[in-house]
Amino acid sequence: MFFFGKKKAEPDRTKEEAAPKADKDGLLEKASELIRKLDTVQDKKEKTALLNEIGSCYFQADEKDQAIYYYEQSLEEDRQLGKAYTDLLKLYNQKRQEAAEAKDDEKLKEYMDKVQGLMQMSKDVLRGKM
Amino acid sequence: MAVLNFIINNILTQAAVVIGLIACLGLALQKKSLGTVVSGTLKTMLGFLVLSAGSSVIQSSLSFFGTAFNAAFHMKEGAVVASIEAINGQAMSDLGLGGEIAITLAGIFVVNVILARVTKFKYIFLTGQALLWEATLCVVFAWFTGLRGLPLILVGSLVGGVFATLMPALAQPIVRQITGTDDIALGHLCTVGYMVSALVAKVTGDRTKSAEDIQLPKSLEFLQDTYLSVMTVMIPFYLITAAFAGAEACAPFCGSTNHIVYAFLQALQFVTGLYVLMAGVRMLLAEIVPAFQGISMKLVPSSRPALDCPVLFPYAPNSVILGFVFTTIGSLIGMLISPMFGAFVIPGVMSNFFAGGTAGIFANQMGGRRGVVIGCIVHGIFIMILPAMLAPMLAQIGFVNITCTDVDTIITGFFFMLIKSVAGFF
Repeated sequence: MFFFGKKKAEPDRTKEEAAPKADKDGLLEKASELIRKLDTVQDKKEKTALLNEIGSCYFQADEKDQAIYYYEQSLEEDRQLGKAYTDLLKLYNQKRQEAAEAKDDEKLKEYMDKVQGLMQMSKDVLRGKM
Repeated sequence: MAVLNFIINNILTQAAVVIGLIACLGLALQKKSLGTVVSGTLKTMLGFLVLSAGSSVIQSSLSFFGTAFNAAFHMKEGAVVASIEAINGQAMSDLGLGGEIAITLAGIFVVNVILARVTKFKYIFLTGQALLWEATLCVVFAWFTGLRGLPLILVGSLVGGVFATLMPALAQPIVRQITGTDDIALGHLCTVGYMVSALVAKVTGDRTKSAEDIQLPKSLEFLQDTYLSVMTVMIPFYLITAAFAGAEACAPFCGSTNHIVYAFLQALQFVTGLYVLMAGVRMLLAEIVPAFQGISMKLVPSSRPALDCPVLFPYAPNSVILGFVFTTIGSLIGMLISPMFGAFVIPGVMSNFFAGGTAGIFANQMGGRRGVVIGCIVHGIFIMILPAMLAPMLAQIGFVNITCTDVDTIITGFFFMLIKSVAGFF
C-alpha cells in the first residue's frame, strides 16, 4: 500500500526464525534438558513458561509437531495470548499448507479447525470468558 | 413434463430448498457419506428458517421503535439501528432474496478461488459470516439496479469475489507488520475503516510509544455475554424514545400495557430476534462454509488464508481494548452528527468491539497510543457516517429502520449505486 511503505521494508520473521543446521542440535539438547526439568515444576506460571520455552526451542529447530505439542500443552495449562498463540498460529498454518499440497483432506480440516479454535480462544480471553 | 414444471415452479423457487441444495452440493463434493449429506442439507434448510423467524421478531420490534422515534423527535431522517445481521435477515426472508444470496455466496467463493489462482493476490477469504454479509449487499444492490436471475447472481458473485480478494490485499502491508509474517491475512470486511484509522494514526501519532507498553485490564468482562451487551445499549434507546414519544403515540402498539414497560420488552424482543437470527446464520453456514473452505484451500494451496479479526487480537491486546473504547466514543459523536448524512444511526456494540478492537491494532501499529486514541475516534465517526449515508438507499429498497455496519459492504452498496447512476446517463 502506497501509504505505508513497501513490502520489503519488513523482513519475514518466519525465515529468520528457521535455525541454521549447526544450532539445531543445541536447540534440541536444550529442549530435552527443559523437558527433564518439567516434572519438577509445580507452579502453574512457571510450568507454562517452561512449556513455552520448550515449544520455542522446537519451533526454532523446525520440529513442527513437537513444537505444536508443547505449545498446546502450554495453552491447556493457561489460556493466554502470547508467544504460544502466535507461534501456534504460524505452525498450524504451515501444517495446513502441507496438508493442502498433499491433498490430505482430513489433516487440512484438522488444522483449519485448530486455527478456528485459536480465534475463538482469542475472542474469549479478551471478553473475559475463561 | 408436468412433474418438472411442478419442481421448477414450486420447489426450486423456495429459498430454503435452494440453500439446502447448495449445502448438498458442497457436502457431495467433499465425498461425505449419504447420511452426512442428508443431515447437513436438512440442517442448512432449518438454519434458513430459523434465521427468517429471528428476522421477523427483529422487524416487529423495530417497527415499534421507528414509529415511537418519529413521534418523539420529529426527525425527518428517522432512526436506524446499525445491524448487518438484521439487514441479512430482512433481505433473505422479507425481500425474498434468500436463494440468490446463497447462490451468490457460493459464487463469491468460486470467483475468489479463480482470482487467487490467476492473479498475484493469493488470498482465500475464509470468514463465512463476512462473506454472507457481502453476498447479501451484492444481491440486494444488484437487484435494486434492476438485475434479475442469472445476471444478478453473476454480477453479485463477481463484485463480491473481487472485494473478498482485494480487501485482504489492501490490509496486508499493515497485517504483515503486526504479525511479523506474511503467512496469514485479515478476512474481515471492515478493512477500509481499519485503513482510515491507520492513516489518521500515522499522521497524528508516535509509533515509538506503543499502547502495549501500558498497564490495562486484560479483558472487557462486560462483553462476556454478547446479547447482554447488546441489551445494555438497546434498552436505554428504547426507553428514552418511548418516554419522549408518550403513551398516546405508543398506544397503537402497546394497547393497555404501560408504554415504558412495553418499550423495555420490545428492546428485549430485539435482542431475542438477534439471538434467534444468529443461531440460524450459524446453522446455515455450518455446512456450506467448511465445504467451500476445504475446496478453496486445496485448489490454491500456496494461498494466504484471510481469517476473521480475532486472529490479530493476541498481537496487541491492549490496543483491542483501547480501540473498542475510543471507537465507541467516536461512534457516539458519529451518532449525534449522523442525521446530517441521512439518518440517525444507533451504533452496534458488537461491531464496535470487533471492528473497533481491530482498528486499535492497526492504529497502534502506525501511530502508537496517541494514534490509537485519535485514529479510533475518527474510525468511530467514520463507521457511523457511512451507514447514515447508505440508510436512505436501504429504505428505498424496502429495509425498515435498519442499516449496515461493516464498512466494506457499505462501499459495495455505494459501488452499485454509482454504477446505477452512471448507467442512468445512457
